[in-house]
Amino acid sequence: MNAPISSFTPSVLAESAAARVSLAAPCARLSLRVRGDFAPLNTALGLTLPTRIGQRAQSGETQALCLGPDEWMLQAPETLAPGTQAACDEVYGTLPHSLVDVSGREVTFEISGPRAVDLLTLGMPRNPDSIAVGEGRRINFDGVTVLLWRDGESAFRMDVWHSFAPHVLHLLETGVRELAAEAA
Amino acid sequence: MSQFRVAGKGRVDTGRPVTFTFDGTSYKGAQGDTVASALLANGVHLMGRSFKYHRPRGAVAAGSEEPNALIGTRRGKGRFEPNTRATVQEIWQGLETTSQNKYPSLKWDIGAVNDAAYMLFSAGFYYKTFMWPKNFWHKVYEPFIRAAAGLGVSPTEEDPDHYASRYLHCDVLIVGAGPSGLAAARAAAVDGLKVVLVDENPEAGGTLLSEPQTQIDGKPAWDWLATEIEALKGLGVRVMTRTTAIGYYHQNMIGMVEKLTDHLPDLPADTPRERMWRVRAGQVVLAQGALEKPLVFHGNDRPGVMLAGSAQTYLNRYGVLVGKKPVVLTAHDSAWYAAFDLADAGARVQAIVDTRDTVRDDLLAAAQERGIKVKLGHTATGTTGRLRVNSLRVNPVKGDAVGAAYTIACDAVLMSGGWTPSLHLFSHTKGSLTWDDDLTTFLPKDTPEDCVIAGASRGLWGIEAALNDGAEKGREVAAALGKAPAELAYAVEADRPGTGTTHKELPTDRSPGKAKAFVDYQNDVTAKDLRLAVREGMRSIEHVKRYTTNGMATDQGKMSNINGLNIAADALGKKQPQVGLTTFRPPYTPTSFGAFAGYHRGEHFEVTRKTQIDGWAEENGAVFEPVGQWRRAWYFPKTGEDMETAVRRECVATRASLGVFDASTLGKIEVKGPDAVEFMNRMYTNPWTKLAPGRCRYGLLCGDDGFIRDDGVIGRLSEDCFHVTTTTGGAARVLNMMEDYLQTEWPELNVWLTSTTEQWSTVALNGPNAAKLLGSLVAGVDLTDEAFPHMSCVECTVAGMPARLFRISFTGEIGFEVNVPAPMGRKLWETLWEAGQQYDICAYGTETMHVLRAEKGYIIVGQDTDGTVTPYDAGMGWAVGKKKPDFVGMRGLARPDLVAPGRKQLVGLLSEDQSKLEEGAQIVFDPNQPLPMTMVGHVTSSYHSDAAGRPIALALVEGGHDKMGETVHIPMPDRTIAAKITSTIFVDPENARLKI
Repeated sequence: MNAPISSFTPSVLAESAAARVSLAAPCARLSLRVRGDFAPLNTALGLTLPTRIGQRAQSGETQALCLGPDEWMLQAPETLAPGTQAACDEVYGTLPHSLVDVSGREVTFEISGPRAVDLLTLGMPRNPDSIAVGEGRRINFDGVTVLLWRDGESAFRMDVWHSFAPHVLHLLETGVRELAAEAA
Repeated sequence: MSQFRVAGKGRVDTGRPVTFTFDGTSYKGAQGDTVASALLANGVHLMGRSFKYHRPRGAVAAGSEEPNALIGTRRGKGRFEPNTRATVQEIWQGLETTSQNKYPSLKWDIGAVNDAAYMLFSAGFYYKTFMWPKNFWHKVYEPFIRAAAGLGVSPTEEDPDHYASRYLHCDVLIVGAGPSGLAAARAAAVDGLKVVLVDENPEAGGTLLSEPQTQIDGKPAWDWLATEIEALKGLGVRVMTRTTAIGYYHQNMIGMVEKLTDHLPDLPADTPRERMWRVRAGQVVLAQGALEKPLVFHGNDRPGVMLAGSAQTYLNRYGVLVGKKPVVLTAHDSAWYAAFDLADAGARVQAIVDTRDTVRDDLLAAAQERGIKVKLGHTATGTTGRLRVNSLRVNPVKGDAVGAAYTIACDAVLMSGGWTPSLHLFSHTKGSLTWDDDLTTFLPKDTPEDCVIAGASRGLWGIEAALNDGAEKGREVAAALGKAPAELAYAVEADRPGTGTTHKELPTDRSPGKAKAFVDYQNDVTAKDLRLAVREGMRSIEHVKRYTTNGMATDQGKMSNINGLNIAADALGKKQPQVGLTTFRPPYTPTSFGAFAGYHRGEHFEVTRKTQIDGWAEENGAVFEPVGQWRRAWYFPKTGEDMETAVRRECVATRASLGVFDASTLGKIEVKGPDAVEFMNRMYTNPWTKLAPGRCRYGLLCGDDGFIRDDGVIGRLSEDCFHVTTTTGGAARVLNMMEDYLQTEWPELNVWLTSTTEQWSTVALNGPNAAKLLGSLVAGVDLTDEAFPHMSCVECTVAGMPARLFRISFTGEIGFEVNVPAPMGRKLWETLWEAGQQYDICAYGTETMHVLRAEKGYIIVGQDTDGTVTPYDAGMGWAVGKKKPDFVGMRGLARPDLVAPGRKQLVGLLSEDQSKLEEGAQIVFDPNQPLPMTMVGHVTSSYHSDAAGRPIALALVEGGHDKMGETVHIPMPDRTIAAKITSTIFVDPENARLKI
């Protein structure tokens, strides 16, 4: 059993009364780097890029998470990616930027359940309270750099590069069991 | 009921008996007992042998500070733990425990001859005795010392338990759930503050558990405690028991270890044995209380001699009388109350012997009321009893004169030398201490952390004082967090205030030089050892400590440090603060390796990165090697093949027809933006301006010192976009270095970097048939020398997959690297594998890759370079742009030492006897020179080469580029090998094989 996680069908990977970890369906992921007045890109993307680190913006099915003073992660359904790429390319002349397709780089784990926050504390040194619902952060989880999107009080998405995903999943699976045993 | 159990006393549940064994004998205890309290309830005081003299020892304390009663515990296979404190380990049905440091039995131990020979084992004994002859150290002395020393026996089986860890963030962390900790929690639990109250004991309460007579705000202490804990929980306070704060680290990070299963008869599934909590607290209240000091006198270590406060704890918390005829020996009021409690529970207290001449009237009256004899102004000068104390020898003291001795028969000696505030965690914060002459102890002063210290741990005495101080400190931290907490005040009745005096070793009428008056029980250090250390020249307590090992045992001198300091200060004729206090270091109590390792063991020990093609390699019998965090296919042996055979076959097959290689681990960085080419010019040694889109170039990266850091082939995809590759191990480092320069040196450049290492799966195809195979699968480009010459790149499709195709070669053969989005990697690999069967396609691993590149003289950064090799040293001056105004390393390369003649330079080596040289072997010019020879370089790479028809090697040799054809020598243990310096290119120097 050595198949990469990216080859799994999106489904529940670990579940207990405490928490659930699922593999999300693949999506388009674009790493955007730009600075200056990025109004032209806002128009091209159809959303206003948030400017505070950790903030998110959404328009339709396209989401943006601000990761740094000049860095965003964009996620959208795979079908929308070419259009987004083309629209951004259009404004490159007036607003040079870097838009790199990293759809193939990572997988997303969906983490939810009553103890989802506690599950994250197994590997995350950051205070979960510092990530408000509707925000996200680049964090360290068990020594691995991942992106964490907080969609609800106890609903998260974690983007993990392929080669780190088995390690991260292993700890999440352990935690799902451990937290359930705690309640028992 | 057991012989020494007192009906109606204690918090244990005698209605729930628990059976356990100690050294094979079965004992009955009660639910809630520790091993120590249960053994004491059965009249067993002898629990172990001491570490150096193998003297019989019993529990001297009732808590985690216990130095003597260390036992082994067992719970089936793999679950053996040595050195567990019997005073901490809770019993459960079926627990097996054993004593330590004894042979053949605890009661008759052969090692006790050390005790008779104690004069030999004085301070500095090891340093003095095991000096000569020098060669005896490894073979005789060290094995002897190691066998004789050490506590308990290391476990030999793999630990089947699992260990956990979590992070915890809170506003206020309170360490210690005694009176001051409880009050601090109550005061701080306001306005939604997240408060965590932690205690190492199985239940909260601290001193209150041992002082049930107290009334707090009109309620009996235990009723108040139960109500208060519920109230705190109701306020949202998280109360964590069996959890020890082991260390205080920077910026209010506290490490805590929670023991989850050691007290349970059955192990619940999926529950870790221990959990390490890494707590980040806004404010910390340290309320660790105080620890009682022993008195230092001859025979103060005999089983049955214990701390008076601990005897009180055994009685009130566990319902156990530690003796029926105890004698109390004290320098502090607190032990008087222990005497009263034991007397009231039915013990016949033989006497209260106090070193002080005067004592409070109410204490004298209470003693008289109970018919207890009182001996004031006395010293103790000895005990008798082989495995259990049966008498105490005492003498009156007048001024400096020690009067005639007499003995008091007893079955226990309850001693108190006063109390030491627990400053361990405070010391971890680098908190400063101040000496208090009245209390003869150190008290906390300033700390750089957001931390306050409350109650007995800052020298206060009595429950009321502790409660009110805790409340005030709780308010203080809540106020520091911007809250306005209410004032709290506690009224306590039947409190037991007290004072005492402090001693060095007690005066004696006998020769102090022969007294076995123990200061450190665990390391068997006596008062005379400390005085000897001072006589032999030790002046600082740090030296006295190391010379005598006082305070260096696993209990970290919780009992011995202040007594040791008082004695050393007296011997030096100085005040204690001038002699100093040793530093406490984490962990506060012994902590298992498992707790530190947490989840990081077995397959989760460390990240193992695998490519998308790794599974195919595993299914096809690959042997793997670690490269950084990655595991890579090393070679693919067929049945019966060893490594050498497999690698030779892979090399030959690739040069003969076609080889396929998983190059996905190569670091990849997308460099994008209008200033991309300028950035590349500044970063790499090579010039990039004239590189046309669609073309590739080998890039060399130096540090600012001019030494090679990394390399890789870089493709220019468009005017503004480069696809950079790095070495596998260098990927993260190179990206960080580039970001560093970009953000700090050249923020004006409009260019951005994105890691695409894992965006792409990369498959390398090499061999005369590479273009033929790939040509049939590629759409969008003709794989001819004209349309797609060597060192080209293009975005196209391969087998229907979107791809970035590079025509490059790390083998000297026609070569391509196909990049497809990572998840398609395995499909691409299998498609090529399938289609390549007609060309006898051969999968090869990293070893073959190394051989093929060495045959062409291509370097591996980190193997043929070692951080001191410049591009010129490596023979790659051609990769340095001479006309560029600047690049990273340009100035470094101009340093005189880097242009001086005689630098070590990379050359080829061919051994004269056709043998394969050893990588790392040193090289000399003259094999006949006298020893030690002058070494002029070393072999960096060495392989058998079928293409060259002989073994080949690369080496760094002083001035090597000017010594072509000359002979150097490689001295080996059995012979000296002569080798000829050659070019680094051993195969196809004209690059004819690159042509399609």
